[in-house]
Amino acid sequence: MAQQEKDDASGQQADRSLTMSRAMVEAIAHEMRDNNEVFYMGEDVADYGGIFDSTEGLLEEFGRDRIMDVPISETAYIGAAVGAAQEGMRPIAELMFVDFFGVAMDQIYNQMAKNTYMSGGSVNVPMVLTAAVGGTYNDAAQHSQTLYGTFAHLPGMKLVVPSTAYDAKGLMHNAIRDDDPVVYMFHKRLMGIGWLPAPDGPKTAVPDEDYTIPFGSADVKREGADVTVVTLGLHVHRALEAAENLADDGIDVEVVDVRTLVPLDTETIRDSVAKTGHLVVVDEDYRSYGVTGEIIASVAEAGLDDLKGVERVALPDVPIPYARPMEDEVIPGTDDITEAIRAVRGRE
Amino acid sequence: MSANDDRVAVETSDRWPDDADETVGVVVNWFAAEGGHVEEGDAICEFQVEKVSVDVPAPATGTLEEIAVGEDEEFKRGDRLAWIRPA
Repeated sequence: MAQQEKDDASGQQADRSLTMSRAMVEAIAHEMRDNNEVFYMGEDVADYGGIFDSTEGLLEEFGRDRIMDVPISETAYIGAAVGAAQEGMRPIAELMFVDFFGVAMDQIYNQMAKNTYMSGGSVNVPMVLTAAVGGTYNDAAQHSQTLYGTFAHLPGMKLVVPSTAYDAKGLMHNAIRDDDPVVYMFHKRLMGIGWLPAPDGPKTAVPDEDYTIPFGSADVKREGADVTVVTLGLHVHRALEAAENLADDGIDVEVVDVRTLVPLDTETIRDSVAKTGHLVVVDEDYRSYGVTGEIIASVAEAGLDDLKGVERVALPDVPIPYARPMEDEVIPGTDDITEAIRAVRGRE
Repeated sequence: MSANDDRVAVETSDRWPDDADETVGVVVNWFAAEGGHVEEGDAICEFQVEKVSVDVPAPATGTLEEIAVGEDEEFKRGDRLAWIRPA
């Protein structure tokens, strides 16, 4: 697995683990030191350090010209980022909650994503749009969405969703160095914040030096022979927990973390399904017209004969409730994944 | 002299936020594991008091021999969080 690629040969390096937020910040700081064109804009990213710690400590090192708090006008500053990128800078613009994309969607999907094409290739837009995603902490329908499917549907931008600190750092390096627009979605529950405790798993060993993880390379987080679970973000950890529980019953589950939805590594997914014959896709986004349907279709198109059974676990098509028991009911839990894995094997 | 006398304690008093009235904190994250190598000055853990996060640097280079207060556990101001055996 990728996170074991750590270089510990010297024995001198500290044996450290990082939270996902610290791993992201380390990559951003490294790129900012190497390249004066990299800068960060967003709401509460300077003095506050990002409401989910996405920029913690960067203001002290880089100052207000490069870590910029902006007025609450997503259209203005995301548009400014698109312009700066077209002029050769490498902006990172943060959408505080992905749920807020609506007020700036023209800048995102018509300008950022399409200007390279609309200009006949005379400009490119090397920017990163970061956004906090996800629920599980009772923030209600307008602050809890992932919208993975919404962004992955629209062409012209890549879409990254890390699940561990190791992946978050390597994917962030790759995102900033990419010459085209990248949307980088970080799940709030994985960041390692005191008031929003992460599950075991996202905090991993992280090398001090820079490294990149190429887009379109899914990571098999757990190998197994009986059932393939394909997922991303927070639900990688819920799927791993389900897999551990089922191992006691002799069901051997493989967990594939896609890591990027665009591009999607269909080859790793198809290879896994060719081995197990059973596919469960788990998504925190809405069920209809989304990630689960797309992944299942991409497997079926090329390898229908490999499929003995398919299940999908996703958020029902309702606005996410505020009340804790109701939110827990709609967001897929470890028990829902366990049940789907058992069910998919009953379809042989 | 017992072997434990050589160990350096990871203290919290000098890292306590100046304006905090609260005398109980909670360890949020450990960045090093028991038995791991730590470098003096590197953040080895993070605790919270009144929603303020504080990084705790390793007081010495060596092996993190014992963690006394684990993640999500509470402690009182002045409690020692861990012991390091200097290299």
